[in-house]
Amino acid sequence: MPKRLASSLSYEVLEHVFSFIQSDKDRNVVSAVLCKSWYEIERWCRRKIFVGNCYAVSPKMVIRRFPQVRSIELKGKPHFADFNLVPDGWGGYVLPWITEMAGAYPWLDEIRLKRMVVTDESLELIAKSFKDFKVLVLASCEGFSTDGLAAIAASCKNLRELDLRESEVDDTSVHWLSHFPETYTSMVSLNISCLGSGEVSFSALERLVSRCPNLRSLKLNRAVPLDKTANILRLAPRLVEFSACTYSAELRSDVFSNLAGAFSNCKELRSLSGFWDVVPDYLPAIYSVCSRLTSLNLSYATILSPDLIKLVSHCPSLQRLLVLDYIEDSGLEALASNCKDLQELRVFPSDPFDAEPNASLTEQGLVAVSLGCPKLQSVLYFCRRMSNAALVTIAQSHPNLNRFRLCIIEPNTADYLTGEPLDVGFGAIVEHCKDLIRLSLSGLLTDCVFEYIGKYAKKLEMLSVAFAGDSDLGLHHVLSGCESLRKLEIRDCPFGDKALLTNAAKLETMQSLWMSSCSVSFEACKLLSQKMPRLNVEVIDERGPPDSRPENCTVDKLYIYRSVAGPRFDMPPFVWTKDE
Amino acid sequence: MELQLGLALPPPPLIPIETFDLNSYGNYETREALGSNALSWPLLKLGPADNDINNIHHHNSSSSSSSSSSSGGGAGCKKRSFDEAPFFDEKRNVPKTLHLLLWTNQPNDEDDDPSNVLHENSSSAIFKNDGEGLVGWPPVKTWRKKVHHQIPNGGAENNRLPAVENGIGGRASKSTYVKVKMEGVPIARKIDLSVHHSFEGLTNTVMRMFGISDGNRKIFKLTYQDREGDWLLAEDVPWRTFIRSLKCLKLIRSRG
Repeated sequence: MPKRLASSLSYEVLEHVFSFIQSDKDRNVVSAVLCKSWYEIERWCRRKIFVGNCYAVSPKMVIRRFPQVRSIELKGKPHFADFNLVPDGWGGYVLPWITEMAGAYPWLDEIRLKRMVVTDESLELIAKSFKDFKVLVLASCEGFSTDGLAAIAASCKNLRELDLRESEVDDTSVHWLSHFPETYTSMVSLNISCLGSGEVSFSALERLVSRCPNLRSLKLNRAVPLDKTANILRLAPRLVEFSACTYSAELRSDVFSNLAGAFSNCKELRSLSGFWDVVPDYLPAIYSVCSRLTSLNLSYATILSPDLIKLVSHCPSLQRLLVLDYIEDSGLEALASNCKDLQELRVFPSDPFDAEPNASLTEQGLVAVSLGCPKLQSVLYFCRRMSNAALVTIAQSHPNLNRFRLCIIEPNTADYLTGEPLDVGFGAIVEHCKDLIRLSLSGLLTDCVFEYIGKYAKKLEMLSVAFAGDSDLGLHHVLSGCESLRKLEIRDCPFGDKALLTNAAKLETMQSLWMSSCSVSFEACKLLSQKMPRLNVEVIDERGPPDSRPENCTVDKLYIYRSVAGPRFDMPPFVWTKDE
Repeated sequence: MELQLGLALPPPPLIPIETFDLNSYGNYETREALGSNALSWPLLKLGPADNDINNIHHHNSSSSSSSSSSSGGGAGCKKRSFDEAPFFDEKRNVPKTLHLLLWTNQPNDEDDDPSNVLHENSSSAIFKNDGEGLVGWPPVKTWRKKVHHQIPNGGAENNRLPAVENGIGGRASKSTYVKVKMEGVPIARKIDLSVHHSFEGLTNTVMRMFGISDGNRKIFKLTYQDREGDWLLAEDVPWRTFIRSLKCLKLIRSRG
């Protein structure tokens, strides 16, 4: 861009223009590619930062480059931490970030964290340091207790959103909800569904709900009984999202009609979840809101197929459904004929550790939804059998799929019709679904499937692989072919040093690579680490120093990620790097 | 999207292969048993390379790794897509990679890796006793597992306490679910005993589970297997005795 043109636009004009560029991708282009003055202007007016790996950069570096940030999102542990593959104490501590930001960003008002270790000290520091704090989202976090929550409740007068989704919170018997002062009225979104029964006082909750007129999203925990649910709904009739509570009592008509009445008042309700222990006889209490529902999470509800079919037949506007395999193929067929706006389907296993299926859910259900729901884009499906034919049908009927995660519960399960690997089926998925950004594989798979993935999955950003492939060629295909790949996570595959070392430079273009129970040697890890200074290569091995084992012994777990911050200082003893 | 912060790297320089002396890698070389011939065949040489690719495919599938799947899958996949078009061609926009190791066409010694043992143990690797088996598989989040197997610990409003006294709750982390089968139906279901407090409620749920309409209910009888392995009619004993001794349920057609 000619220098003359760049300097003819004033700072104010450019800043105003940049304020319309919201997406991080586009902002990064503005600041990195164009010219120095744009870089400078952009960094001063950037308000929102997303850091996908908290160890990729240090807080000081972020602060130096972006001095006026108001909103930050950080992610810590690798995704496989959700399945207990990352030992406790690995890392992901947020305190160093809060400490730095407390001094540098007094106007920070939003913190969103995922898979990080948050302590009460961090929460207390947040409460003390940010005067206008508005949004705290702790997704799948741990390390804090109700004491920390009490500090937030007591100090953050303008808090709008407190979302603890899927976090682990220690109960110190502090009635933290009561720490919101009587003058506090700003809550818009509250998610405490992860809390145990001792951690929520009903009366404090009711008082809080009654004085927050802007409350639009409320997700309570399991322990709130039915009659309290009805009371709360009556106090907040303008809710858009609600997580319903325990329905465990047997049917009583007075409780039922109270509940039904409370729901029918909620004209703006669009999303329902919770439903732990629901007794099917109470389900009709929500029928009045069903026609407007766009999102339904029944994945904790042990309701069986006939009741599920009745329920979904009342929900023609449904866009998102999470459910257990109790829905069965018949329920999914009903879904396919009733819910033409469906965009996202997630079917979870009710009994993942039982060898026998306890519900009649097969690949047919998914095929039915695929054929019947033209807007389907995102699938997560647990089942016990699959065929290439079904996958090809799904692929051909849904070229617009962008997320496809299939988990066939038993590893190495072949096509149940032909006995062949499922390479062709998944190959069809990547070939037809050109916008696929996330894919999880399962079943019997050879190196071939990776050849297809490398060839066709050009927009794929995240790939999860387990018990698949024959040799390094499989991994090589993915690393050399998938141009948009950011995150790759692999477990129990015969991939080793060759593929990794041949594609070393690729790793710098990705956010991270996880490999556990594969065939990578410690020597290869050390070599990679020596030659690639911008990669952190972490060998996670609780068996002891990798050097102390025979040379052909493979590492247990390997986590490689790019970083401009260099090696981290908070590594536990079971993480080994080249310097050990 | 990731914070770039200068992570948008310039394309890595193409390091000439000669500067990597595999002999200096010490132990690595002995593991691989690479001869000097091995340096001659980099996979990622850009240019018409179909023959190379197909040779490698042939070689890998015929050198047949430990898993029995590769031959069938390998042959099929070759025929379908990759003989037609060159897999790598000059027009493809590929970052020139840094070769820390050259790809060779030597059979991969690591194919017989012990971590492949799961391929041999193909039957139910995960379905061992409670708590054993594979870590983190199936990939279900920890707290989600807790939801299904936890004994509900609701407040005093519900009638959960009698179930606890009956000994069901006493089995620490075991669930209150029992299997229910129906004569002639291959799929067993599971039912949560703790939400039922009478034969009527239990029978209603079981009938509904198997789609038996009200009119047809008299055709069926609910039976159960007790701890000694005997099959008994459910309603022949009081509820509390039933709950204590029941192992699993079965719905059978009544005869006569």
